[in-house]
Amino acid sequence: MLPHLDDCYRLARWLTGERADAEDVVQEACVDAFRGIAGFAGGNARAWVLTIVRHAAYRWLRKNRPAALVSVADLDALADVQPGQTPETALIAKADAARLERAIAALPVPFRETLVLRDVNGLDYRDIAGVTGVPIGTVMSRLARARSRVIAALGVDEP
Amino acid sequence: MTNNLLIHAYVDGELDPAHALELEGAIAVDAALAAERDRVQALRDLIRDRLAHERSPARLLGRIKSSLRVRQERSRPSWGMMAAAAVLAAIVASGSTWLTLRPQPPNTTAEMVVASHLRALMAPQPIDVSSSDRHTVKPWFNGRVPQAPRVVDLTNVGFPLVGGRIDVIDRIPVPTLVYRHRQHLISLVAIPAAVANMPQRQTIAGYNVIEWSDNGVRYWAVSDLSAGDLDSFAKAFREASPDR
Repeated sequence: MLPHLDDCYRLARWLTGERADAEDVVQEACVDAFRGIAGFAGGNARAWVLTIVRHAAYRWLRKNRPAALVSVADLDALADVQPGQTPETALIAKADAARLERAIAALPVPFRETLVLRDVNGLDYRDIAGVTGVPIGTVMSRLARARSRVIAALGVDEP
Repeated sequence: MTNNLLIHAYVDGELDPAHALELEGAIAVDAALAAERDRVQALRDLIRDRLAHERSPARLLGRIKSSLRVRQERSRPSWGMMAAAAVLAAIVASGSTWLTLRPQPPNTTAEMVVASHLRALMAPQPIDVSSSDRHTVKPWFNGRVPQAPRVVDLTNVGFPLVGGRIDVIDRIPVPTLVYRHRQHLISLVAIPAAVANMPQRQTIAGYNVIEWSDNGVRYWAVSDLSAGDLDSFAKAFREASPDR
């Protein structure tokens, strides 16, 4: 079946935060893809369809979760993780899925999408830069900040 | 800090060899950096193990198929759309994807045959080899397609041979014969097929199409001839012996 459908669904699921909403977003994106297929200029097809899914997800966010969309300035102002909040490697390795999901869901959208495109979808930096429309340097810094935050969150004692 | 940034690219295999070596040197003498590398690596593995295998629900594919079908019914596809669908199929994938996304499952080959016919009519020449002699046309196909088609002379019954060309149907090169009836051209596509079906007639974009099977080959004749004249052509072709 559609080899990229699962990838599309995973990205939409992490961008919207809800599996049911992710289905709507992917369905809409597929119609967009079908309509815009003539504009496909070759290259990485998976990155191309993920770009369309991302657009559809952002449309959905603007409509349903406007607060989730932070400006780049807000992003730059976010404090980074302080040293000392970093847990042991062993603690990360045995973190349970629910906790990991909460940590990722708590990330600002630009960090979250970079992390998901890299570690869930397995795109390389160049494709991530293409999908998210930012320079590779920005991809690197967002990825680093996203991972640091998730790692820190996994180290915090939960009640 | 720079190294803390680079450590991610290093773990992701995105560093060029020179920088990777340099960073490995730094990791070797910096325990904190080594610990950071281990944490990043652990998180990466954790996400991959726990989250990267989630499948889309089966019903999603059904929803997508039906929403594309609804669009299809609302507006008959243009040829551009057909070509677009072919590209989509090619890029999103394998044969089965094509089955999933193609607009009208039973008609695809017929529609591609009509598309090839139209394209040929627009080209300066509708044929790659121009000859009314079947002894010229048939050998021309040898080495170009796996199986040269049966070529018969139908001049006596009003369908002189014009020549032949190679069409690509479903990404497979297939031989196409071109016959003429008065001022109308007929494209006859011959595709090897194991399954024999009853003859079928249909009209696509104003062109009549008739398909039939004979001796393990599926034939598709398309023309702007009337359905009756195209039937006569199909009948004449089926009854003709190559040695006549």
